[in-house]
Amino acid sequence: MFTDELSILVLYGLLVALTVLLQTTGAMGQLGMGYLLSSRDESREAAGMTARIERALNNSVVALTLVAPAILILNVRDAFSDTSLMTAQIFLAARVIYLPAYAFGITGLRTLAWLSGFAATVVLYLLAL
Amino acid sequence: MTPELTALAFAGLLQVVQYALMAVPANLELGSAKTTSPRDRDRLGGDLIDQVSPRTARLYRAMNNHFEGLILFTLAVVVVTLSDQSSGFTAACAWAYLAARVLYVPAYAFGWRPWRSLIWAVGFSATVLMLLAALI
Repeated sequence: MFTDELSILVLYGLLVALTVLLQTTGAMGQLGMGYLLSSRDESREAAGMTARIERALNNSVVALTLVAPAILILNVRDAFSDTSLMTAQIFLAARVIYLPAYAFGITGLRTLAWLSGFAATVVLYLLAL
Repeated sequence: MTPELTALAFAGLLQVVQYALMAVPANLELGSAKTTSPRDRDRLGGDLIDQVSPRTARLYRAMNNHFEGLILFTLAVVVVTLSDQSSGFTAACAWAYLAARVLYVPAYAFGWRPWRSLIWAVGFSATVLMLLAALI
């Protein structure tokens, strides 16, 4: 499951889906089910951990948009290698750490995790070229 | 071309339509002087999205929500296709996703409650099921 780049990409997609569910669950408690079901014409902002998970979600979607093309190019070009596998594993591990680091406000660790994921993405692009 | 790829192409086109549904009324309501400006908040008195009508703002939120959905759906479709795992099940998921996202737009614009949320859940579940199918 963790042994090929495409599976790692899918696992990351599932992590983003999990983040969506966590954010929605938090918003249910804070903003109320009635508001979530409404057309949300008035703007209501979540606070605390739910707001952090929402920011983590936005960041995770951006990271997904950036990393997916690199892995797909590697796949189409048949250019997967031990290095690209390890880099993809580092990416996933970094993003798995990023979510709780943001949710629980662990400053430093969150930034370090983000930086590792971002650097891994850059390496994947360099390998794809 | 697998059915999943066809559904993905339609989903991309749906987002183009959603763009137009949002941008045309937004430009009519705000005027091109505002929309073609660099949209500096201090000069326009805040975000443009807060200055459009409630219906246009709903269409804007529907479009933003579909970007998130579309990224995950693209991932699911491309991986299923590249790994040759297309099946009747994944094709059904892909069409369910497309149908849900088409219905989501009027559901948001006309405030169908709680149907919008249920429709969203159908599209989200279809994507997650495709991702899981790609792993197995």
